[in-house]
Amino acid sequence: MSEAESTINEPISDDVSFDVEVRVAATPQHLSAIRAVAADLAMRADFDLDAIADLKLAVDEACSTLVMHAASGTELSCAFRCTPDEIAVRAVVPSADGTPPRRDTFSWRVLSTLADFVTASVSRDGTPTRVRIDLVKKRTTVVNA
Amino acid sequence: MTSTRRHTTGDYDHLEPLFAEFASLPEDDERRHELRERLVTEHLPVAQHIARRFAHRGEPPEDLTQVATVGLINAVDRFDPERGTDFLSFAVPTITGEVRKYFRDCSWAVRVPRRLKELHLSISGATAELSQQFGRAPTPSELAGHLGMTNEDVYEGLQASNAYNSSSLDEMLLDDAESSMTLGDALGEEDVDLAGVENREALRPLLARLPERERHIVALRFFGNLTQTQIAKRVGISQMHVSRLLAKTLAHLREGLLGSPR
Repeated sequence: MSEAESTINEPISDDVSFDVEVRVAATPQHLSAIRAVAADLAMRADFDLDAIADLKLAVDEACSTLVMHAASGTELSCAFRCTPDEIAVRAVVPSADGTPPRRDTFSWRVLSTLADFVTASVSRDGTPTRVRIDLVKKRTTVVNA
Repeated sequence: MTSTRRHTTGDYDHLEPLFAEFASLPEDDERRHELRERLVTEHLPVAQHIARRFAHRGEPPEDLTQVATVGLINAVDRFDPERGTDFLSFAVPTITGEVRKYFRDCSWAVRVPRRLKELHLSISGATAELSQQFGRAPTPSELAGHLGMTNEDVYEGLQASNAYNSSSLDEMLLDDAESSMTLGDALGEEDVDLAGVENREALRPLLARLPERERHIVALRFFGNLTQTQIAKRVGISQMHVSRLLAKTLAHLREGLLGSPR
């Protein structure tokens, strides 16, 4: 399956409610808490071990990217929504410079390989300006070989 | 070449004369590389045999075989045929030492009760078995069913695996990346297509400096779109090890790319 085919064009709507939210200081050393929550949710949703590992890596990559875009001294919020078929993740930080993460980088390649859907955006409707990454990991379709 | 000191005879005798030739050739000689690969490959059963002796001690067999293979590669590189001993007399303690070192260094990062270590090993074994059977990674409930455990037990075991630290193995391969062959060498190099990656100029040297095996795993996952389970099968290590190596390599690349377009 090519990457284009595996990318599903379904943004997470703005008014969606999340089941779990983790907030940490926007620094790399606190991301392990978010990774642990991501892995735990995927495990309890009975995702297969590859999908659990992928979600954990994807969340780590997304949050690491956001930490680099975060204004100093701010918090990163990472929220999860679990439905029978997928786990949706929204990670947000107050932006340092109002620019979204680029999509032509290796990091973006990693994210779009690991997740079934991923998008980055900057919202200027509130103060401060916030930069956000949404991603969705779907349950692996079980086709026994 | 015959030696009266040789006490292990049999299948490997025909390889013995190759060591003298191997040792006589300069580092960059094509023939030397061929010989090295042949000596390692044909002695692999020795490494596998030693790895099996350490089974049932709480480590995935794939990982033990890999450590033993690293020991074998070191033995091939360090063996001096001039000393008059045969290769196996030198290799067996070298390989065994490498596996012992692995057990010493590769430990649980935090104190983990024996029950959890055993749980980790059961899950690791069942994962390999079910992956083989299904052609994909199993889910926690499938592992629970297979092992006759509750889902909660499996969750606990999977979480315990996070506390497991096999970094010494990774470090060992990192250290040896330039001087010695890793398993990746035998696998061939993946041509990584970086077209469309804006920061490829910064990325390329970082990828080039990765140990062969890590580069191979990154290439298979992010440029070949293989799953971790498929990569584990191809490289000959456990899926959990692939997972750890990927996490570590991505963090390493991220650090190296700081300052380039994000």
